[in-house]
Amino acid sequence: MKLLIMEDDVAAARSLKEGLEQAGHGVDLAHDGDQGYALARQGHHDLWIMDVMMPGRDGLSVLKALRDEGRRTPALIVSALGEVDERVEGLRAGGDDYVVKPYAFAELLARVEALLRRAHAFGGSPETSLELADLKIDLLSRSVIRAGQAIDLQPREFRLLEYLMRNAGQVVTRTMLLENVWEYFFDPQTNVVDVHISRLRQKIDKSFATPLLHTVRGEGYILRAER
Amino acid sequence: MSGMWLFVMILLLGAMAAGVGFWWVRRREQKVAMLRERLVTVTQCARQTGDNIAHDLRTPLTRLRGDVEAALRQDDAAAHRATLERTLGEVEGMQSIINALLTLGQAEAGGIRVKKRPVDLTALLEEMLELYIPSAEERQLRLEGRIAPRMLIEADRQLLARIFSNLLDNALKYVPAGGLIMLTGAIKGGRAEITVEDSGPGVPQEMREKIFERFTRLDSSRTIASGAGLGLSLVKAFARLLQGDVTIGSSSLGGAAFSVTLPASAASVSTPFPR
Ligand SMILES: Nc1ncnc2c1ncn2[C@@H]1O[C@H](COP(=O)(O)OP(=O)(O)OP(=O)(O)O)[C@@H](O)[C@H]1O
Ligand SMILES: [Mg+2]
Repeated sequence: MKLLIMEDDVAAARSLKEGLEQAGHGVDLAHDGDQGYALARQGHHDLWIMDVMMPGRDGLSVLKALRDEGRRTPALIVSALGEVDERVEGLRAGGDDYVVKPYAFAELLARVEALLRRAHAFGGSPETSLELADLKIDLLSRSVIRAGQAIDLQPREFRLLEYLMRNAGQVVTRTMLLENVWEYFFDPQTNVVDVHISRLRQKIDKSFATPLLHTVRGEGYILRAER
Repeated sequence: MSGMWLFVMILLLGAMAAGVGFWWVRRREQKVAMLRERLVTVTQCARQTGDNIAHDLRTPLTRLRGDVEAALRQDDAAAHRATLERTLGEVEGMQSIINALLTLGQAEAGGIRVKKRPVDLTALLEEMLELYIPSAEERQLRLEGRIAPRMLIEADRQLLARIFSNLLDNALKYVPAGGLIMLTGAIKGGRAEITVEDSGPGVPQEMREKIFERFTRLDSSRTIASGAGLGLSLVKAFARLLQGDVTIGSSSLGGAAFSVTLPASAASVSTPFPR
């Protein structure tokens, strides 16, 4: 995948580029809004990562202009502010996700992968069921079956599992789970997500030979069939 | 508090965090030396500011600096790695203090635009219970709700959730195992009143005003749990942004009772606290 980073801080942009390249992506850099706009218009990229505050044209107005031209490349907005209305503004300008500086690289990478995956999953008719190894969830009847055995989940546990299934094979962070499963855009002090995950794990993994829900230390969780 | 100064701090810490992220691809020595340079700048920054922000950041910075300098005197990859991991932990701690201070500054200066919308307070409180009950149980605490039906208010769902989540975080932190936490919500005289009370140690009378000030912590709490002393300042600032307030009293459960009052919308059904 080819990514475009618009970030005026040269050192920050370079370390971000290195990290994303290590994760197997090609990366182009732009150090201001005008350069970013010009590169983005070439249409070579699968994802834009744009800083809100840049000299010249700021990230949001660049994004708005690109969207007005009908360009639909997924955009991850990076901001130093992080207040409630700022996030709303970012999404209204056409952003698909939003992270606040200073972020953990793992947080940014997880969101990049989720956006790329979502973009590629588009097109087909909406799924009515999701499957991973011997685990299957039915999105209509909201039922869960593993190895032929019905598993009883609370509504929230179902949403949690559905989100993990949709991102199977990829790390999802606690913050992503809070945002997407609970719709809270802040991180509580208590390890609330971890405890919900361990309850879900009890139900879907405990009495089966191969665990599906894994902890990725210092990053988050991943649902996948092999270890 | 100087907004500019905080901004500079954030940039510096951001650069540090990014640096730490890629430690293994660079020569360790060089990286640690760079970190040290940045640390010196940040420490100097902190020293120049006379207020308690600097004071509160100085403790983790001192630890951090000592740790990095000790690592520089060594030539051991494993020790360097351990140092970098601790450094990242300290940086994250300072980051959250700075974030809280920035949010507080903005909230108190009216810099946060609150977009009030109809919020189903009943549903929100039920969701908070659902979110926190497993964590409470894990700490051998009972968390229960007495939540009136059909409470509607004009508010911002995220700010509300941050208020209750801070109060529940505190209860989970300060109430010893075996205790009880109660979340109550009702409409009284046109206002919604939400109470988080517990069977914990409570807060002595003379500290009840102070506890909402920045960096204030009870001495007795320091040994129980870590914290910056900013959670309740945020709760107060958010409650005020919503034209409400928060007060503390004693609970019949034996511990603290934090009460948040908020303007209710006309559509709310007036209900006493349910039994
Ligand atoms: N439920 C409670 N029972 C007893 N004491 C409490 C309770 N809630 C808060 N306190 C006291 O009030 C102090 C301030 O609380 P506050 O939430 O502002 O800070 P904190 O929890 O120490 O740190 P943080 O910034 O991480 O929230 C606490 O340190 C504690 O001494
Ligand atoms: Mg607290």
